[in-house]
Amino acid sequence: MSARLQVSNLVKRFGGLTATNDMSFTVEPGESVGLIGPNGAGKTTIFSQIMGEHRQTSGQIHMGEQEISALSTPARIRRGVSRTYQVPRPFPEITVAENIRVGLMPDSVWQMVTRGADRDRERELALAVGFAEADLDRTPAELSMGDLRKLEMARTLATDPKVMLLDEVFAGLTVGEIATISALVQKLRDQGMTFLIVSHDLKALEPLIDRAIAIDRGTKIAEGAYSEVIADAGVRASYLGGGGDA
Amino acid sequence: MNLRWYHFAAWGALIAAMLLMPRLVDLGLMGRGTLRTMIQACYLAMFAISWDVLSGRTGYISFGHPFLIGIGAYGTAILSKKFGVPVELSIPLAVLITMIGGLVVLLPALRIKGSYFALVTLAFMELMYQLVQVIRPDLTGGTRGLSGIKTLTRGAENGYMLAVSLMLAVALGCWLLMRTRFGTALWALGQNEEAVSGSGLSTIRLKAMAFLVSAFVAGLAGAFLVHYNGSLAPRAMFDINSVFTIIVAALIGGAGTILGPVLGAFFLTFLLEWLRPFLPGAERFLVYGAVALVLYMYQPKGIYAIIEGGLKRLWGRA
Ligand SMILES: Nc1ncnc2c1ncn2[C@@H]1O[C@H](COP(=O)(O)OP(=O)(O)O)[C@@H](O)[C@H]1O
Ligand SMILES: [Mg+2]
Repeated sequence: MSARLQVSNLVKRFGGLTATNDMSFTVEPGESVGLIGPNGAGKTTIFSQIMGEHRQTSGQIHMGEQEISALSTPARIRRGVSRTYQVPRPFPEITVAENIRVGLMPDSVWQMVTRGADRDRERELALAVGFAEADLDRTPAELSMGDLRKLEMARTLATDPKVMLLDEVFAGLTVGEIATISALVQKLRDQGMTFLIVSHDLKALEPLIDRAIAIDRGTKIAEGAYSEVIADAGVRASYLGGGGDA
Repeated sequence: MNLRWYHFAAWGALIAAMLLMPRLVDLGLMGRGTLRTMIQACYLAMFAISWDVLSGRTGYISFGHPFLIGIGAYGTAILSKKFGVPVELSIPLAVLITMIGGLVVLLPALRIKGSYFALVTLAFMELMYQLVQVIRPDLTGGTRGLSGIKTLTRGAENGYMLAVSLMLAVALGCWLLMRTRFGTALWALGQNEEAVSGSGLSTIRLKAMAFLVSAFVAGLAGAFLVHYNGSLAPRAMFDINSVFTIIVAALIGGAGTILGPVLGAFFLTFLLEWLRPFLPGAERFLVYGAVALVLYMYQPKGIYAIIEGGLKRLWGRA
């Protein structure tokens, strides 16, 4: 169920600002990689380019052997890469079940019309991310930030990805909710899912990743085992303010 | 689609009630004039349904629906009157031309967001109004339009039965379609287009399909209306007031619900008809604007939501 994600010499400029600066890295099948860096370092922008929501200025992105850099977002999702958003993007006026349904739909209007919703699968995904049965009929307006992040996870999972990009999945969550999402990520890792995870909560992130990539101002400054990356002088300077215990 | 017994009951009751209306005329409980007003309401209902399929859920507001209706109406009128094509063929052809022609012209506009789409559709309506007057007036009838177009029915009752059958078929078809996952996807599109794309769905394809269904209904209703009236006047057809009537009918009825626009169309048509003796001129439109506003403040989701809420309360009490 897994695939290799490869980013090569990626550059993204917003006017005069270089948000991604000659970025290259690979996430091997079944691997889980943490992407860390201070606010504005360019983590989300990398996700947006992998998904095709922002077109890169130059560079390539591959899923397995195939270059996906020129494909539309839905076409990339069909190739097996999917993301959550830092600011959750629910459909506010439809239910949790219907939100998940949108993620489950095939990209074919004919099939949308002729085949009914898979309610069992909707329920299964909702329960897997930690919703209760009763939440299925609630609308996002009634949900907490934790629930909205769960919904992001569920809709992302619904697209049946091989590689999941998680953007600040722990932000604004309670300790209990962090545990729920962490357990889900661990379970998916055991099943062979490939992850690229952005998180400011390093304590929650550390057990979920095999290695880390640190970036600052769009540039990769360190890559390797989590403890080594965190110990790196450049990382400490840019990210941890030169010391402190994360 | 998740159909429940009360869906069947409600549709059964609606269809039975609508088809039995002419019997009220027989019994002397209703005038023939009322039946003619209901015919107008049926066509407006179809236009409002057409608008609702495209704009009610996706938030891509069409201000140019008469453009689509006009292609259907002119299409069958010209084919049948000027080229002697039998009506059984000219109507389907006109509907096809509406779908293809409309899509070719408006597909680029569907790629741009929100308010631009409204402007572009409005511009196309105006453009079409100008074009039918200057390009081949021998075919379009120019400023005066066309008359002596073959009519399909004789008398109010037949005209009503045709209009109401068409309207019910269109309403039921669209209502069922909107209950599928396609309908859910269109809701989602109106709420967060980027997230629909981020869920793996091609938004341009969803919009194009909604547009095709909308154009199908608009072309069909426009074509049948022209064969009911037997004539076609461009000034009335491409009037900004007719755009507003369609949109207001859909909005006060309840956008996105298909049945709401039908309710809205009947409400609006009868309101205008009742107001006619008191306010013969265009100021009637001001009044319906005011009524729409008051209704909107009371329940922004329209008549449909008011009725739904009432039924739920009754049900809860029983
Ligand atoms: N659409 C955009 N237009 C212009 N600048 C942007 C845009 N998106 C992000 N940026 C800039 O790019 C930089 C990286 O942003 P981002 O990827 O969101 O950082 P991070 O996710 O690491 O906090 C920031 O300086 C941000 O202001
Ligand atoms: Mg970010």
